[in-house]
Amino acid sequence: MSTKGTHIPDWLAVPFAGITPAPSQERGQDLFPTGNWRAIRPVYRDKMPPCNNACGTNEKIQGYLDLVKRGKYLDAYALIKEDMPFPSVTGRVCYHPCEQACNRGQYDEAISIRAVERFLGDLGQALPRDVVTAGRPNGKKVAVVGSGPAGHSAAYQLARLGYTVTVLEKSPKAGGLNRGGIPDWVLPQDVLDREIERLVELGITIKTNTEVGKDVSWDELKKNYDACVLAVGLTEPNSVRADGEDKHGVVYGLPFLRDIGMGTSKVKLGPRVAVIGGGNTAIDCAREALRQGAEEVTMITVEGNTSEMPCVPEDLHDMVAEGVELMHGRAMTAALGNGKVEALQLCRARFSGAINASPIAVDRESPAERFAVDNVIIAVGQHASLPWLPDEFKNERGTIRIDRFGRLGDTNFFAAGDVVQVGSGQPLMVVNAVGDGKRVAFNVDKVLRGVPLQERMVPIDVITDLARMNMTYFPKFPRVRQAMLEPASRRRTQDEVIQAYSEEQATEEANRCFSCGTCNACDNCYLVCPEPCIVRSVRSNGLYKILVDYCKGCRVCIEECPTGCLEGVPELDFDTGVVRMDTAFAITPGLHGRQAEELRRLPDKAPKDIENWR
Amino acid sequence: MATAVAKKKKVRINGCVAAAQAAKYADVDVITAYPIRPYTATMMALAQMVANGELDAEYIVADSEHSQLSIAHGASSSGARVFTGSSGVGVQFAYELYSPISGTRMPVQMMIADRTLDPPGDFGSEHTDALSARDMGWLMGWSCDAQEAFDNHLLGFRIGEDRRVLLPQMVCQDGFFVSHITTDVELPDTGQVQEFLPPYTHPYPLDPRRPVSHGPQIMPEQGPPLQLERARAMEGAVPVIEQAHDEFARIFGRRYDPWLEEFMTDGADVVFFVQGAHAVTARYAIRHMRERGAKVGLVRLKTIRPYPTDRVKDALSKFKVVGVIETNLGLGSVSSGGVLYAEACAALYESPTRPLVVSFMAGMGGEAIVLKEFYWMTNKMLDAQKRGAIEKRTHWVGFEE
Repeated sequence: MSTKGTHIPDWLAVPFAGITPAPSQERGQDLFPTGNWRAIRPVYRDKMPPCNNACGTNEKIQGYLDLVKRGKYLDAYALIKEDMPFPSVTGRVCYHPCEQACNRGQYDEAISIRAVERFLGDLGQALPRDVVTAGRPNGKKVAVVGSGPAGHSAAYQLARLGYTVTVLEKSPKAGGLNRGGIPDWVLPQDVLDREIERLVELGITIKTNTEVGKDVSWDELKKNYDACVLAVGLTEPNSVRADGEDKHGVVYGLPFLRDIGMGTSKVKLGPRVAVIGGGNTAIDCAREALRQGAEEVTMITVEGNTSEMPCVPEDLHDMVAEGVELMHGRAMTAALGNGKVEALQLCRARFSGAINASPIAVDRESPAERFAVDNVIIAVGQHASLPWLPDEFKNERGTIRIDRFGRLGDTNFFAAGDVVQVGSGQPLMVVNAVGDGKRVAFNVDKVLRGVPLQERMVPIDVITDLARMNMTYFPKFPRVRQAMLEPASRRRTQDEVIQAYSEEQATEEANRCFSCGTCNACDNCYLVCPEPCIVRSVRSNGLYKILVDYCKGCRVCIEECPTGCLEGVPELDFDTGVVRMDTAFAITPGLHGRQAEELRRLPDKAPKDIENWR
Repeated sequence: MATAVAKKKKVRINGCVAAAQAAKYADVDVITAYPIRPYTATMMALAQMVANGELDAEYIVADSEHSQLSIAHGASSSGARVFTGSSGVGVQFAYELYSPISGTRMPVQMMIADRTLDPPGDFGSEHTDALSARDMGWLMGWSCDAQEAFDNHLLGFRIGEDRRVLLPQMVCQDGFFVSHITTDVELPDTGQVQEFLPPYTHPYPLDPRRPVSHGPQIMPEQGPPLQLERARAMEGAVPVIEQAHDEFARIFGRRYDPWLEEFMTDGADVVFFVQGAHAVTARYAIRHMRERGAKVGLVRLKTIRPYPTDRVKDALSKFKVVGVIETNLGLGSVSSGGVLYAEACAALYESPTRPLVVSFMAGMGGEAIVLKEFYWMTNKMLDAQKRGAIEKRTHWVGFEE
């Protein structure tokens, strides 16, 4: 009897035939800690979804889509409000770089993020009290000059940080570009009004009709406030440097829209209107011209075709649908007429790509064309007007000289938005101004607290691309379209063109989100793990845990992670929390698995009995 | 549930059908099958029984022996009484499953009708197919006729399913000599079988109502305790086997020594040590030689796993010369012949009166061992007795003078 006198020590005792109780959620395969077989450890690491990265203010887009998908609208609204003070506005006006970046765009159609944002923004508008509250007052005062997107954003973030914020706005109504640069049929005024009210609810003082350099001096700003954010925007329209620009009937794009927005417009358009420019403002002007009674609206661009135009393609499409004509490859060289513009002189032109000279090369050889008009709206960009700015803070372009933190020298003055973004390569868009305002607000806070500043630009994180993800789990599904007014009925009214999502539509669209690189509690890892090595207390984002004592590193969870959140990290990259192979073979009781807590950390040197054994 | 058979009756069937009948009497729940002669006859008989409604069992034809044993393993894990079987290379193809089945302590029963491996791969019996799996934790023994085969199958279930044992069994019979030769077999009354063989229950079957993990992957140091426990089960089977044989004799009236059959060993100087069907011919030859004064006898090994070491030692120590009839191939083994020689010698090693041991390669290729070969082998043993030494360890019968 060879087994006579044998005994199995307690620490090695196994159940009959190794048959064990089913592993539980909490404890996994408790008896057999096989984690030391692992060469690759699955690690949950949320990565930057491309939408969040592309967003000018880095909204947590994946995050709020996920919440909308689960019906947690208020949470979603609160999340969006971290980075975006007025989702109801950007939900209407944003050029949505997020959607261009959306990975789903390479698969079927990008998520209609803006529409979901608008759904959340409108939900926030309907709340009797906003979810956002002002921070505990810290006794410091900050002035924000300008109430456009950047100023609004900076004021909002500073109020949340506990600053006493005063917004100085030279116009009779707050809103800046949101008010004056965006037509009603894109952004109804009452929506913007409600967002301005929200600022007031945060305790922010808004002084309208208050212009720096006129009503408030530079020195007063310096004296009366602990810090100041200059977010004055680009208020002055660019000229096309054509003869006769001063003729009656020649107007500029931004003032044209602004006066309509402020209700102070005196412009009466004739039947034939030409719009000079191929950008977004030009498109808004052309479409507004239709609504102001013009019969024939022609957009004249230097760009040789639509694809070169620096505009949002879908707005261009909607404009063409409303009946605006396009004329490409022309520059306006003169406004002709006797006191009042009657025709334009157009010359063949193209962009030369020149940096120092005029970027537009006009072909003077070909014969000029005459284009009969009653009005011309020139919308070829804006520039700043900063007569009040001390020269020491002016740069060679005539705008504000700032350091990489958005700060004017070592003063407590900061600048944000288009006024500093112009010429920087950053898009001059609402959302980018909001982002800039936010980052500058955080730097104001840092300066006032005396902590190191942060760069204005967001460092690029790992962006999740499709290759990281498992497409097997995503059936193709078209995006939910937002209803629109028909071109024929909308072109003469101020009614909002694009209609809001219903709750069902918003949920359905949010449900299309891949959740690129970010755990969205799909439970797939939990289900596919061949051994119960993945545990979770509740099914929720980020609450999954790998039991490293049991996980053999088979990679099934990694391969099957739909979002690419799970990564395989070589075990040797870890210096804690792992049982190494060299400790797997028990030499003394308790040297293995669960019983040996200390062995889950790497020993400094080999255990003593190993040395003796040698 | 098996249909009742009114009472004992005598039938004339071959070994394959006897095995099938035993499975029917044992009321097996699952049969997994894959055809290979000579086992095929068992599979066919069972298929007929299931088709006729004589036996209520899941009958699963697998796509290979490997699958066949895998399914048997799974079925047994769920708590079913499982019967399967194979021959020759089929036994080998399923080799991977033998250790897991015994390692998870699943008392699957496998009928083996021996067949030569390749070469020659013929229909005839060599024991190498099953013997190659002899150390995989399966209870194993050979029957020498259809009746004994029937009885050994019932005994196998009874022993293997005992909670003290829980090991699978290979119940072996020689291809052709047992599997395909029709003899009288007494089939018992169902009530007798029910008394002898209680319904099978596994202590921890796979059951969604009481979930458990079978065969989890384990740490290196957790292997030895399981191996030790399997060894304990194999040794622990010894008293269970003896009790089962006693019970069997009480209920069915046929008494077998569970380990060794001795035939005409009284006063014998030389004995054949053999297992399986060739014992039948050997008995005839011995009777004939005894009539002519040769002091020759026969010891038949009935159970090779667990190996009855002490019984073998005690039984064989009484003689001057032991001739092991191999009927298996152990190329390059201790005797450079078969594998039984080494085990017999090892059992005898501590005996103060150990006999000379010689090995005979006989019955190879499934050939019958004819009478004159028994006479020849007896002469070799008597020569050794006379000289006090063996001429050589292994004789290739039929190829030497």
